[in-house]
Amino acid sequence: MKAPTPIIEIRDGKKSFGSFVALENINLSIHEGEILTLLGPSGCGKTTLMRLIAGFEGLTSGTLRVSGEDVAAVPPERRPVNMVFQRYALFPHLDVFENVAFGLKVKGLAKSEITERVKRMLHIVQLESLANRYIDELSGGQCQRVALARALVNEPKVLLLDEPLAALDLKIRQHMLAEMKRIHAETGATFIYVTHDQDEAMILSDRVVLMEKGRIVQIDRPEDMYARPKSLFAAKFLGETNLFETAVADSGAQGTVAKTASGIGFLSRNGVGHKTGDKVVVSIRPESFSFANNDEGSSQKTQGQVEDVVFIGSRSFYTVRLDDQAKVRIQVQRNGRVKPPEPGSRATIYWDADNVVMLPQA
Amino acid sequence: MSLSKPVTGSLLSAPTVLYMAVFFIVPSLILFAYSFWSAASYQVVPDFVLKNYLGSLTSPLFWKVTFNAISIGLWTATITLILAIPVAYYLVYVARSQTILYLILLTWFSSYLVRIYAWRTLLGTNGVLNTVLLQLGIIDHPVGAFLFSSFAVTITLVHIYLPFCILLVVASLSEIKRDLIDAARDLGTSSIGAFCKVIAPNAANGLIGAFMLTFILVAGDYVTPQMLGGSSGQTTGLLIADQFRKTGNWPLGAAQAFLMFLVSLAIYFALLTAGRMSGLVVHRPRKKKEA
Repeated sequence: MKAPTPIIEIRDGKKSFGSFVALENINLSIHEGEILTLLGPSGCGKTTLMRLIAGFEGLTSGTLRVSGEDVAAVPPERRPVNMVFQRYALFPHLDVFENVAFGLKVKGLAKSEITERVKRMLHIVQLESLANRYIDELSGGQCQRVALARALVNEPKVLLLDEPLAALDLKIRQHMLAEMKRIHAETGATFIYVTHDQDEAMILSDRVVLMEKGRIVQIDRPEDMYARPKSLFAAKFLGETNLFETAVADSGAQGTVAKTASGIGFLSRNGVGHKTGDKVVVSIRPESFSFANNDEGSSQKTQGQVEDVVFIGSRSFYTVRLDDQAKVRIQVQRNGRVKPPEPGSRATIYWDADNVVMLPQA
Repeated sequence: MSLSKPVTGSLLSAPTVLYMAVFFIVPSLILFAYSFWSAASYQVVPDFVLKNYLGSLTSPLFWKVTFNAISIGLWTATITLILAIPVAYYLVYVARSQTILYLILLTWFSSYLVRIYAWRTLLGTNGVLNTVLLQLGIIDHPVGAFLFSSFAVTITLVHIYLPFCILLVVASLSEIKRDLIDAARDLGTSSIGAFCKVIAPNAANGLIGAFMLTFILVAGDYVTPQMLGGSSGQTTGLLIADQFRKTGNWPLGAAQAFLMFLVSLAIYFALLTAGRMSGLVVHRPRKKKEA
């Protein structure tokens, strides 16, 4: 079966500003209807990539296709994409209704159609009652919804969202994330979402594009990227993790075994293609450690001293100092079955080979 | 203990208020009183007459020079604004460079009078403009009308006030974020459309302000008309200056100054009304946000 044409396709994309290379080796296909997140630290090029798709910047080399068509010569006003700007960029001289109607008016649609579509969109974002307010009379969350409505009313094939929640406080942010998912389901548009916030990316995305220093380092579903990071950067950027400097001691059908200098061994079923003697970094998430041997036989273990416990409601975070002085963070879900160790006591910690990820050294 | 807001406000503004009261408001009131006095043989007599106002309003010369001043003012302000907008747009949204702005303002370091004389040289019968036109064969004898005309005054005043106007337009555009242009283009307008539909309406108050300030300074300027205006390029400013310097009729000069002030005010409101009727200036009452 032939895959459908991606809605956005970038091949060997490169963008430089003078001598500064903002983006390099960009190969990316975006499927119709998905929520794709461009995730990365500030300065990684994610906003530039979005502005390229919107048409505010042009590729230095490579191709950018929208629905199979090369759009190098198409200015932003003629691209079937709309954007929600980081600080909303709403028009202060217009009220909410006029802001949302702006794009349709420019297109020269009939007044009755404009009114109908704007009203429907204001209903979707639940702002009907504020249609005649001016922008400076709105709260941050309301501005955000006007910005969404103003873009979506044009029924773009692709909606670009540039850190749309960055200016909102935490509580509204969580509410808006849910809103965004609902609006996505209701409109069926493709969403490309730029953020540096891993939580937003995990909650919202079908796929995450992780970027670093102008390059794409990994494209994956959020759960896969979390469980199987392909680089040290990915392991560290998404969520919390424990890292161990090791060298591969043995590699076979069972998996790969790597050992720290102090002799702690890790068996991994995920380390593919490592040769004996290779230096690798072992990454194990805090929740992959346990104080109980759940799975007889397959679990690996080591010992250490419990230094510190932090309770966060249903979970606790333990800091355990291993015998070679390395510190390990362990997350324990509260339950009645296993009594967790007291601070100051010695403890044995267990982990499973499935949760051991071996990464090349950066 | 910290001072209350009104007290802090009064303390901070006190020097300026005091200065303006002593050196602007009081003199203006004195001038206003003068405008009702009468003058006889270089003597100012305390009086209460309306002849200074009535005489000016019925004087063809006053209306001729006032019309001249307004016309030069409107032309200069219009040309200046039209030239300033693209430069300011470039400075604010494209170059984002302070250096170029400083270079533009550097022209103010050259003397006003020197520049007026420079234009006399350029526009005179043996001037650069005439020489070039003669060489090109466009004219067959030097045109004297370049100099000592409203044209000469306007071209010189545009030259002098352009940097000032650019500064004002830059200030008003700086308040409008580049994002708005991107947003407008994203929603389907061309870049010129984005300027007309988004930047201009948001900057309208600033642009009208720039136009009016330029207009007021130009319409009141009397040095350039005196040096370059000749007999046809006389303006109210020059007429008023003459009442004070030559004829010694201070009351008449004062009355004419106030008339000119009223004319400027009328033009300002006329412009604002035109702007609102055309929908360019959006006027809406600022509602107080509920606490």
